[in-house]
Amino acid sequence: MEGKTIIEMQGIIKAFYIGTPNQLEILHGINLSVKEGEFVSIVGASGSGKSTLMNIIGVLDRPTAGNYILDGIQISSVGDKKLSEIRNKKIGFVFQNFNLISRTSAIKNIELPMLYAGIPKQKRTKRAKELLELVEMSDRASHMPNELSGGQKQRVAIARAMANDPAIILADEPTGALDSYTGRLVMDIFHRLNKEQGKTIVLITHNNELAAETDRIITMKDGMTYENPATKREAGQ
Amino acid sequence: MNIGENILLAFASLKSNKMRALLTMLGIIIGISSVIMITTLGNALQGSVTSTFEDFGTNLIELYIAYKDDSTSRPVDEKDLISDEMIDALKEQYGENILSISTSLDVGKGKIKVGRNDVKLSISGTNEGFCESNAIEVSEGRFITEKDIKGGKNVIVIADKAVSKLFPKGTDPIGQELKIKTDSGTLAMTVVGVYKSKVSKMMSAMMMSDSETTNAYIPISTAQRFMDSDNGYKFFDFKAAKGLDYKKFAEEAASFMNEKFYKDNPYFQVKFYCFEQQLDSFMQILSIVKLVITIIAGISLLVGGIGVMNIMLVSVTERTREIGVRKALGATNGAIRMQFIVESIIICLIGGVIGILLGLLLGNIGALIIGSPAAPSISGIITAVTFSLAIGVFFGYYPANKAAKLDPIEALRYE
Repeated sequence: MEGKTIIEMQGIIKAFYIGTPNQLEILHGINLSVKEGEFVSIVGASGSGKSTLMNIIGVLDRPTAGNYILDGIQISSVGDKKLSEIRNKKIGFVFQNFNLISRTSAIKNIELPMLYAGIPKQKRTKRAKELLELVEMSDRASHMPNELSGGQKQRVAIARAMANDPAIILADEPTGALDSYTGRLVMDIFHRLNKEQGKTIVLITHNNELAAETDRIITMKDGMTYENPATKREAGQ
Repeated sequence: MNIGENILLAFASLKSNKMRALLTMLGIIIGISSVIMITTLGNALQGSVTSTFEDFGTNLIELYIAYKDDSTSRPVDEKDLISDEMIDALKEQYGENILSISTSLDVGKGKIKVGRNDVKLSISGTNEGFCESNAIEVSEGRFITEKDIKGGKNVIVIADKAVSKLFPKGTDPIGQELKIKTDSGTLAMTVVGVYKSKVSKMMSAMMMSDSETTNAYIPISTAQRFMDSDNGYKFFDFKAAKGLDYKKFAEEAASFMNEKFYKDNPYFQVKFYCFEQQLDSFMQILSIVKLVITIIAGISLLVGGIGVMNIMLVSVTERTREIGVRKALGATNGAIRMQFIVESIIICLIGGVIGILLGLLLGNIGALIIGSPAAPSISGIITAVTFSLAIGVFFGYYPANKAAKLDPIEALRYE
């Protein structure tokens, strides 16, 4: 299956200036390419640069140097406002600690990205209900985050990430705060979204078992990416 | 993200921390309510004073004797007093420009025993012109006449309020005999007239006078005889013809008196007191008081605004992570800024509305005490609302901007 390329990174460098002449380079020239419909996992020890790479993929941060094209958009050339729009429409974030807005019901949380996209109320509610059904949380629509279990929160968060039908879902340790059973449920949802809806998913994880379920594993070490050729071949089949 | 959603969000946020929101609003509430209370009360007072002066008439002028030199303290002699002849001369000089002249002499408090209770009267000796000058409305019988004065008759005009206390219901008060005990002896008087008590509530509130005591009037000659006082007056009032420059006329009348009668008197001279001038200076004082309180209220609003800013800064810090999440979900800096500015505006507007209601309540209670109709100022309310809105924007902008400029990565990492 040869789809179009969603993520195209060439020579991405991220450096932090901690006062001249000291410079801390976290990413040393990453080349990464993810195709539409792929389920990719990025693994690596902490401090390897995973989070920095994720922030750049999710356009929360800009690379110091290098070229990043997300779904046909040259990221380095767009302004802050446009970046907000890209985060809103092209990317669905799923965090380790869920990051639902407190004191806001599950359905309102799901509506939030659509609210920022300027979608009218009726359409928002309709879509949010569909998404709740997708993650099997329809009966918890009006519950507040503090009334939900960890697994339920993460399912709401996945529904929220899907709200504007993004090009990619970027999941940062989505099962890290869950027990193995609920973690399994969450992973199943990701697989379903990938298979049934053809969603491109980038999963960042410590867990090699979960990574092994994905199409392709990218290992990060000291700010560089290494790919396991075996898994790549598998994905290519 | 539209305004409506922002407003709902702001309310939800305030609801989650009611006590804090209320305390934050307190400065605004105090500031706005004091402005509204003062304008309401000030307008009531102004209206009351104006109507009181209008009752008396701004054309009322008083002439009185005073020491030429403040350091002398020679007691007043009969020769120093203003005599009837002097008044006649003044009348002759100015003719139609003087409408009515009233003279009076304070007799003091008097008591009438009715059963176990005392009915209190404040008795003055007056002439026939007093009735018009002091806007007294006679409802039954008549006022003191020239004939009463010439004859030094023992007649009295009392208030309708006193009548209801003195006599059983249905009794015709005219012709009734009254025995009045005063400090200088007992007066036996026949009631010839009843007037409508129209004691200005404001006046009575200001003078803290006992509302039980009503005024009663007897002929001035009777009063002089009873008090064993000199033939003459320390002061007298008259009404100037409408359309004159009252102050100038008062000055002229005083200097006429001085030229003619007091030139050779080494100790005394005639001075004037013009009600119109008094009204002006009263209004001036009132507007200064209003201004000062408004400035104080402005300062309290400023302090309140700083309080709002403080709480908004706390709120931004507390919700750093939420801001990060919102940014990750696609909120622009503008949307975040708007969210916090709207929250600040809502705090200030709620505070403003509570302040207006509280101010109106206090203003009305105050007006009730003063006894004049409350006059809430619409422009004051509009100004208050606009002002609290402006405070919300002004003091909300800095915290909101701080929130908007947060780095999403840092914000998401915030614990």
